[in-house]
Amino acid sequence: MRRNQSITDLDILAAKIRANVLEICRQRGGYAAQGVALADIAAALYFDEMRPDDDGWFRDRFVLSNGHDAIMTYAALAESGHYKMDDLRTYNADGGWVDQSPIEGQLGFEITAGSLGQGPSQSAGLAWALRQQGSDARVYCLFSDGELQEGNVWEGAMFAAHQKLDNLCYIIDNNDMQASGHAADVMAVEPVPKKFEAFGFKSRRISGTDMGELLDTFDEARATKGKPFAMICDTRLWDGIDCLQKALPMAHYTAKAAVDWDAGAAEITATLAALDAKR
Amino acid sequence: MLLTGPREIDPAPFDDISFDLCSRRKDVVIMSADLSKYCQVVRVKNELPRQHLDVGMAEQNLLSVAAGVAKGGYIPIATCFACYITRRAYDQMMICMGSGSGPGTNQDSGPTNVAIGFTPGIANPARIHHQAAEDLGMVRAIPNANVIDPMDPTDFRAAVNAAVDLPGLTYIRGHRGDTPRLLDPAKFTFELGKTYRLKEGKGIGIISTGHGTQWALEASALLEEQGVGHSLLHVPTLKPVREAEIAEFAFAHNQIVTIENHQIVTGLGSLVTEIVSDVGGGPRITRFGLPNRWAPGGTLPFIRTQLGLDAKTLAKRIAEVAA
Ligand SMILES: Cc1ncc(C[n+]2csc(CCOP(=O)(O)OP(=O)(O)O)c2C)c(N)n1
Repeated sequence: MRRNQSITDLDILAAKIRANVLEICRQRGGYAAQGVALADIAAALYFDEMRPDDDGWFRDRFVLSNGHDAIMTYAALAESGHYKMDDLRTYNADGGWVDQSPIEGQLGFEITAGSLGQGPSQSAGLAWALRQQGSDARVYCLFSDGELQEGNVWEGAMFAAHQKLDNLCYIIDNNDMQASGHAADVMAVEPVPKKFEAFGFKSRRISGTDMGELLDTFDEARATKGKPFAMICDTRLWDGIDCLQKALPMAHYTAKAAVDWDAGAAEITATLAALDAKR
Repeated sequence: MLLTGPREIDPAPFDDISFDLCSRRKDVVIMSADLSKYCQVVRVKNELPRQHLDVGMAEQNLLSVAAGVAKGGYIPIATCFACYITRRAYDQMMICMGSGSGPGTNQDSGPTNVAIGFTPGIANPARIHHQAAEDLGMVRAIPNANVIDPMDPTDFRAAVNAAVDLPGLTYIRGHRGDTPRLLDPAKFTFELGKTYRLKEGKGIGIISTGHGTQWALEASALLEEQGVGHSLLHVPTLKPVREAEIAEFAFAHNQIVTIENHQIVTGLGSLVTEIVSDVGGGPRITRFGLPNRWAPGGTLPFIRTQLGLDAKTLAKRIAEVAA
């Protein structure tokens, strides 16, 4: 853990991020199930792990490889004040600028990531360039288990390990879901940690929704020298909102009419109250 | 050749086309890259599982495995979004699927390789990364390839059925979701390369392909109300096209406009311009379609309006050229 945020504080931020995801996606639908499931990773990354710079942004770099997971970044950066919820409510609206899968250069998005599987290489190139310049900035790249099926990912991984990019940390959203079903059925990607180890990474499989484990693993990644790090985060769509997980466990995309958004929001309100009481 | 009366909508053209084909032809394998549902490959996947093969989200793998499947004696039909099947795997399309048949290769008629790109151009709402505005140009540049952009479920079906008997690489743009039935299956027969006169008239000549033909028909109805004379030529096959038919149509008019769901560089507009300029002394050609800049995202009606491709604006632009 980098700063003096308690785990409960970060859990509260994660709950607020979940609430933002619902509020944004309930307008016109969206990738809500992914956003909800990635809220803990987002809280850990944006509010603890990545160091702020002097200009109100971050010294470390985050590369989102899975374009449609942008909802996670939007919801987190709304909590940090970088985005306004009023703008984010136009997510996916005709004529709006809040793309479901954003284009490179928009605040928070280093790459155009709608064509999946291109973040691991770009983040490796970025990490190489930063190291070459003597920068101490770290590079984090979030990608999904579906992306592991793209050859480009493994080309990037091979390069990162060959170059001993210990300033690079891959975060894999290992939710066993892709567009047409469970990854295990469509095209098995496991055992993911062993694959990265074989490519020359240090790797660890953790729960993507356990704040303590997330922070410990970021510590371990930072302490790892001479090789890149892969944290394989097991998640499930909608993790953190039981009623929506029960209602739509396979929701690659959530249409506006597909779930009871109020029920989801109510569950988060209860979660927040319980966390507040703990504080 | 066109249907009259109330317009019928086909909600899932390729689901039926692929199922009917696979029921009849046991040598056909429909291939997916995690997008079976999104390319409407449902019945084949569920009811004819031996004729469905999913390689995961891996488009380069999709096309190179497909080429292997073809070399092993089956006829692969690789399906994906148009952007990924072309951009992401262009080398695999050209080399693995496209270099084994026809003049300049080692075989006069090598294995059949079919690729279908769904939600082409602005039929996909996600700007830049999901909008293949150059797929026709890319595949048109591959020697010996066949390139087809059908206008409705009828010529889409005919093109797929034809493709499985063509040697070498065939690329077809697919229709997904609610698609209007426009051609009369009783009166329309597909032939590779053939062009179709959908409307005979005096005045301006409109040449269109794919979704562009749907849009052209919408504009045509408005132009007719406004008394603007025009004829309409549908060009489903961009390659190999019967150049003489295009030239004949073009030279019969003083003004030509082309309409396509593709950028005006390298697609149908370019094709027509090349053919007419090869002859020389032809009519002026005005190309309508996507510009060579990034199109906006959003729903199809929204994007069409933004780009001046909605029926009303399109009719106005055609009338202005005609005037
Ligand atoms: C290169 C590429 N191929 C195909 C797609 C279409 N597509 C969008 S999401 C998706 C499934 C990806 O699986 P994953 O990212 O693991 O899904 P998650 O459950 O994490 O949202 C596919 C195939 C794409 N966006 N990019």
